[in-house]
Amino acid sequence: MNSAINTAGAGLGTAGALAVCTALVATAAPARVRPVVGSVGTALTGAAGVAAGIAAVAGQSMSVTLPGVLPLSGVSWTLDALGGLFIAVTGAVAVAGSVYAISYTRSHGLESRGVQAVFPLFVAAMLVVPAAASVGTLLVCWELMALTSLLLVLAEHRQRDEVTDAGRWYAVMTHLGFLAILAGLLTFAAHAGDDSFAALRRAAHTMPPWVAGVVFVATLIGFGSKAGIVPLHAWLARAHPEAPSHVSALMSAGMVNLGIYGIIRVGQDLLGGGPRWWWLLVLALGAVSAVYGILQAAMSTDLKRLLGQSTTENMGLVLVGVGAAGLFATAGQQVLAGLALGAALLHVINHAAFKSLLFLAAGSVLRATGTRDLDNLGGLRAGMPITTGLFGWGALAASALPPGTAFVSEWLLLQALIHGLPSSGGVTSTVTAIAMPVAVAAVALTAGLAVATFIKAFGVGFLAKPRTEAAAQARESPPLMLAGMGLAAAASVVLAVLPGVVLPGIGSAVAAAGVGGESGSARAAAGVVTLRLVGVTGALSPLVLVLALLGASLLTAGVVRAVTAGRVGGARRVARLWDCGGGPLSSRMEYTATSFAEPLQRVFDDVVAPETDVDVDHHEESRYLVRTVEYRRRVPDRIEQRLYQPLLKAVAAWGVAGRGLASGSVHRYLGYGFYTVCALLLLLAVTR
Amino acid sequence: MALGGSVQIRHVDAGSCNGCEVEIGSAFGPVYDAERYGARLVASPRHADALLVTGVVTRNMAAPLRRTFEAVPGPKLVVAVGDCARNRGVFAGAYGVVGPVSDVVPVDVEIAGCPPRPEAIVEGLRKLTGR
Repeated sequence: MNSAINTAGAGLGTAGALAVCTALVATAAPARVRPVVGSVGTALTGAAGVAAGIAAVAGQSMSVTLPGVLPLSGVSWTLDALGGLFIAVTGAVAVAGSVYAISYTRSHGLESRGVQAVFPLFVAAMLVVPAAASVGTLLVCWELMALTSLLLVLAEHRQRDEVTDAGRWYAVMTHLGFLAILAGLLTFAAHAGDDSFAALRRAAHTMPPWVAGVVFVATLIGFGSKAGIVPLHAWLARAHPEAPSHVSALMSAGMVNLGIYGIIRVGQDLLGGGPRWWWLLVLALGAVSAVYGILQAAMSTDLKRLLGQSTTENMGLVLVGVGAAGLFATAGQQVLAGLALGAALLHVINHAAFKSLLFLAAGSVLRATGTRDLDNLGGLRAGMPITTGLFGWGALAASALPPGTAFVSEWLLLQALIHGLPSSGGVTSTVTAIAMPVAVAAVALTAGLAVATFIKAFGVGFLAKPRTEAAAQARESPPLMLAGMGLAAAASVVLAVLPGVVLPGIGSAVAAAGVGGESGSARAAAGVVTLRLVGVTGALSPLVLVLALLGASLLTAGVVRAVTAGRVGGARRVARLWDCGGGPLSSRMEYTATSFAEPLQRVFDDVVAPETDVDVDHHEESRYLVRTVEYRRRVPDRIEQRLYQPLLKAVAAWGVAGRGLASGSVHRYLGYGFYTVCALLLLLAVTR
Repeated sequence: MALGGSVQIRHVDAGSCNGCEVEIGSAFGPVYDAERYGARLVASPRHADALLVTGVVTRNMAAPLRRTFEAVPGPKLVVAVGDCARNRGVFAGAYGVVGPVSDVVPVDVEIAGCPPRPEAIVEGLRKLTGR
């Protein structure tokens, strides 16, 4: 065992030790104090992770090898700036989520030993994945993360039937993804002759191109399924809504990022880039995920499902950046590659901040009203003013409009894509000339749909009049839940106003990924107040933009006030809201989430293929008198219907057909074994 | 009483038999074309200078008529169109009737007739527009 004692190593070690201790103490502690013990321990684990991540990004490196822990290969961890960035993000989300969880788990009946003990282990597993320095370590940590998150997804399986279904989908898909990663990395390790990442890096140049391609595609499938990339997104929109909200936040803002980490680590770092088609594939998957994810979210009426689908969208945007970075790097445009990867990593950080805020706020709503259905919410502003304000900020941060958080990273991403066009001195090739404008269009369409989606989530869910008694009775969450949301909100405000504070860290992470060349040009953008792109022209000052927006709003309000006050006979008259002279407006006259999305649904009718159903119940005496009309609309996931259902049917049919072989006779089963051994021996005799 | 050449009018049916509505339709049609005198029908009392009330005021429409009148920004005028609106007309003594329009909101101009001819309506509106 060799290890340099520094903040990075000590932080990661402390995080691991704290998580294990917390799990043990939470198992032993009585139910009354269990949420406090479990959550505080997890918060400290997260804080240690943040410290380790920041130290690693700042330039400290750490390397630990424990040969005896796993048979054959041992365990080895190495921390570099790229891994440190993801560790810091995960740790920060864990801190906000655990502070929130102290009150949330208590009020939600989640004090059970299982939930409280597995939660810190889940955080620790996510913290050690980006530090893994060998195939064996990565796979073990990855599997630990998958298993702990699966247990947490299933936490509420006694309350709702859908949880079991979501858990089943998640379990199957995450393990198929694991198999893909396993196959890819083992092929890689077999060619390298050793499973440490250093050996893989050395072997990457001598590997035949088709093997490298197989490795890349297999790991892309595996890591992409964890990141919720279309068409492997089916589990995400199920598992994220059904998990307890603090776990949803951790999964959506922390775990999915690690899929992106894997793609960057294997594609850029270990395989050292690759042919153009790899990155075109990544770019295309990203663009499709972004548009399809947000389109599904725009149609969704379930608040947490909507947020989950928006995660697919955001991971798609990140992949667009990753794909563009790879594309530029293969064309030798290192500056642009650094810019694109920097934009992608900034979007990872920004997404973590606003998505954890949104999921925690959604959990707050769920706790207060017992429902996630937007069509049954509304009017939460009166009972839950702070949650409403925080969700409102989160919604603004998630839509790519200034002064939101996503605006900065999507602006950087668009800058990278636009500068990559041949006409602006970028990559001169036909494929790029076609791919870049399409990618720009996809990002722009995504941004527009995201605005509509979050206006729907905020306007229908929180404003106007309450639609149900439960929404009318909603009360504000306890202070610790508000504190957890406040932490996430504060982080996203800082990222929106002063993104310059994280840019140096992103610069070193980009350099650690081997993109952007050896020189200082890995820095995509510089400056704390004004972001100036390095190497290409472009500048943005989010702080000045925010101040200008605030100034303009105040000026408009002041002018309107001055004009109305100075009018002749300017006495103010309090007038009744015009309701056509009838009774007061009722909540049945409001926009619902379904009706708000209807115009969009009509525009994208061919893509989303909604199923509508109108039931008219007539009066007994005459068909001309209508008693009730019922309208239902369902927007099923079309990719899921076309891709998964046939597959599931085929598997089921195969199973039924195979049942004929299992007659229950022991002789027959022995016969199967015998013939299989014979066939294998024959195969070996022929091939050897 | 004239409003300087241009009057935006909101029509309220307070319980009419729709005879007056047909005549108002004619008054704003191509033959009589009340718009050339500056009178224009609008879709909301918030946009209106004047109310054009037809019919006897029924129980169900008394409160909405009052609210509509309150919703019109001042200065505002009310035109009672037809005999029912002026003095209950043929509905005098019916069970669901509150009274003529002047019992509910102050009336400025009255247009007589059952139903009033389009010329009479245009004439009444010209008193408002002053054109």
